Amino acid sequence: MLTGNNLSKTYASGKALDDVTIRIAPGQICGLLGRNGAGKSTLFKILCGLIKPDTGQVIINSQRPKPIGGIIERPGLYNYLNAYDNIRIFAGIQGAPADAESINQILVKVGLPLNRKDPVRNFSLGMKQRLGIAIALLNNPECLVLDEPFSGLDPIGVTSLVNLIVSLAANENIAILLSSHLMSEISKCCHYLYVIDQGRIVNSGVTNQLISRHIHTFSITGNHLSTSKTLQGYEVKYGINDAKVICHAQDIPALLQNLLSEGIEVTACTPELTLEELIKTPAV
Amino acid sequence: MRALLRAEVLKLLKQSKTYYALAAILVIELLIFITAYYQGSTILDLLLDNLKQSFYFEGTLLNGNLIMYIVLNSLWFNVPLILMIVTSGLVTDEYKDGTLQTVMLQAVKKWKFILAKYIMAVFFTVVVIALMMLSTFILAYSIFGKGDLVVYINTLNFFKSADAFHRICWAFASGTVAMVFYSVASITLAIFIKDSAKTWIAAALFLIITNLLLKADLGIPIFNNYFFPKLIDTWQQLFYFETNWLTIGVNNAVLILYCLGFAATGTYLFNKKDIG
Repeated sequence: MLTGNNLSKTYASGKALDDVTIRIAPGQICGLLGRNGAGKSTLFKILCGLIKPDTGQVIINSQRPKPIGGIIERPGLYNYLNAYDNIRIFAGIQGAPADAESINQILVKVGLPLNRKDPVRNFSLGMKQRLGIAIALLNNPECLVLDEPFSGLDPIGVTSLVNLIVSLAANENIAILLSSHLMSEISKCCHYLYVIDQGRIVNSGVTNQLISRHIHTFSITGNHLSTSKTLQGYEVKYGINDAKVICHAQDIPALLQNLLSEGIEVTACTPELTLEELIKTPAV
Repeated sequence: MRALLRAEVLKLLKQSKTYYALAAILVIELLIFITAYYQGSTILDLLLDNLKQSFYFEGTLLNGNLIMYIVLNSLWFNVPLILMIVTSGLVTDEYKDGTLQTVMLQAVKKWKFILAKYIMAVFFTVVVIALMMLSTFILAYSIFGKGDLVVYINTLNFFKSADAFHRICWAFASGTVAMVFYSVASITLAIFIKDSAKTWIAAALFLIITNLLLKADLGIPIFNNYFFPKLIDTWQQLFYFETNWLTIGVNNAVLILYCLGFAATGTYLFNKKDIG
């Protein structure tokens, strides 16, 4: 269990964190959503012990040599070394197993190839993220914090990383906290969400419930949407390939049924939730 | 601590910067050799023409001992500057690449990590000076041979060949202490400044100010004797005709204390500072 209680931090430029409380249970994946500069990285640094909070405390119930591992802002790697040597160095300095078998095992765990012997400066961002996670997992931490892990990744890289994060939480019972300013990525893998803005937690809840409470816009893709009589009864913004319909989630089944009755072939109906909505309308 | 030092050695060996530094020192040596080979005799003849009419010098004065003394003089500025750039990089590169954050996210104590950096800086400095001394000995003696040494420190001092070799060896040892001091100071500067380019500028400034203060009268005797800029040229005292071995020993011991002081200050600050 990773707990941060009433954490506050002020820099010369202003207040970065204001009375933030956060809890992550073992095996749970928590998402921290917030705009750039909302205080996510500061919170992560405090949770990892890199910076001291002005007030509040971090509690990690762990007897392990390394209670928490993580990547903050970007994976910090020795770019002139290969993946194997990077892990060898980081494992060696903390007394974790640094033999060939253990290193290969961890490379396989995060899905990195064993035959890459070139320096990591040649690696793609996705591979660097994986290597960063491999280093964070050295010495079996109980908690893992990943700051913007999807940043700069292509869709395939995002899916692959989401799968890795989900499997780490499920199979190794690790408490995972990850941050992003991208709603779609974070909602795919998190059990619980915190929304941070201007250093304060402004919204939180179980991911599905939080999202369904705040969704008011659905993107519908299909044929002849602009001529639909059904849609005339709703507030609609027509795009090039879709129609954005503003309605409650419970109205969607009936709406889709009516569109089908009109002979419109609906190919997709995607809920659209923006970070701004979560920030503007806190949970009741 | 041993694991941290092993990691530091691996990092140092795998970085191209290390080899650039060694190559730079070798280039300085080679330039001295080439200049001495083609122009040394002419310059010495001009300087010592009158003396040669009154005194007998054993062997040629442009010999291995003189070349080694000239190479030793690169300890004034060239070598410490290169050493300060490389050793400060041990810390600034970790800040720049974000690896310091990654290290601090592992089960590693801050003070142990930075202490390993200081030890590595000292080790690297000693190795560089040892290589410099060895390569100079081999090249200087094989190209220019042995002979009496003439040096100008306020006045012309002459040393017999065997005595000169003995003094040069001790001068390299004393010079190593001065170079270690610069390396330790550069790590401390890197902890304060964090940024590579700014640390290089600060290191160069530190070197220049130290050299300027060396000749300045600081007014208070204890400062004139034991303030660190007054101690960095101790190796030069080995070429005074009357050698005060006690003063040389005390100066080097005080300089080592300064090294420990700088390292302790840096370790304390690093331990206290937030990372990030």
